[in-house]
Amino acid sequence: MSPTAFGVLLVVVSTMVEAFGQIFLKKSSVDAERRRRWILIGVAVLTAEIVLYSGALRFLAVSTAFPITSLSFVMVTLLSRWLLGEEVAPLRWVGVGLILVGTSLIVAEA
Amino acid sequence: MTAGARVPLRLVIGLAVAIALDTGLQLVWKTGIAELPDTSSVWEMLVAVALNPIFALVALFMGAQLVNWLKVLDHADLSYAKPFTSLSYVTVCVLSVLLLGERIAPLQVVGILIVVAGVWCVSQTKRTTLGSSAEGE
Repeated sequence: MSPTAFGVLLVVVSTMVEAFGQIFLKKSSVDAERRRRWILIGVAVLTAEIVLYSGALRFLAVSTAFPITSLSFVMVTLLSRWLLGEEVAPLRWVGVGLILVGTSLIVAEA
Repeated sequence: MTAGARVPLRLVIGLAVAIALDTGLQLVWKTGIAELPDTSSVWEMLVAVALNPIFALVALFMGAQLVNWLKVLDHADLSYAKPFTSLSYVTVCVLSVLLLGERIAPLQVVGILIVVAGVWCVSQTKRTTLGSSAEGE
């Protein structure tokens, strides 16, 4: 695997890890009895995400890595539906799709 | 589909604060990274981070962001709240133009409009679908 491909893989994995971190933070609000535990897990996972992303920047330019991070909006929506059982209305999907395209355009040109 | 008009003020403020903190964090973070030494040693990098007060500010922003975000999530679906944070891409871009005098590319303007349209779509969906304690506020 080329260093660039490895870097891209790391960024994609980091967006998935971020989505899981967000799920744990939301869990803290749904499962009030274990609120503190969920927050701690969430913060730990989000810290791991920062480490992964920083690692990816050793293989990729920020201008390549940053647009990929907008995938996290899609990941968070998918996991909210699968793991939390949130209802994602079609219009919400349309919004997330537009956001994915729009944020990519903003940062790709920056 | 409920209209965005029924969103409680507390949630609107929470989302606005989240975007503001995210924007501040990104700008401060950028400044901090630019000041780091050009070294491949992880240890040297960690020492430089620890010694630079700007990273204390980064940590402060992150802490405030966590506290505020947990409050936001008490009042909305994660899949409702998270898309709003994409507006920080817009604010960072606009502030870079206003404060740093950077030029904005035509495609970035298109991107900004698309993001705003996307957030508007999300804002038109039900903010909570889990039937949790957030009802009736």
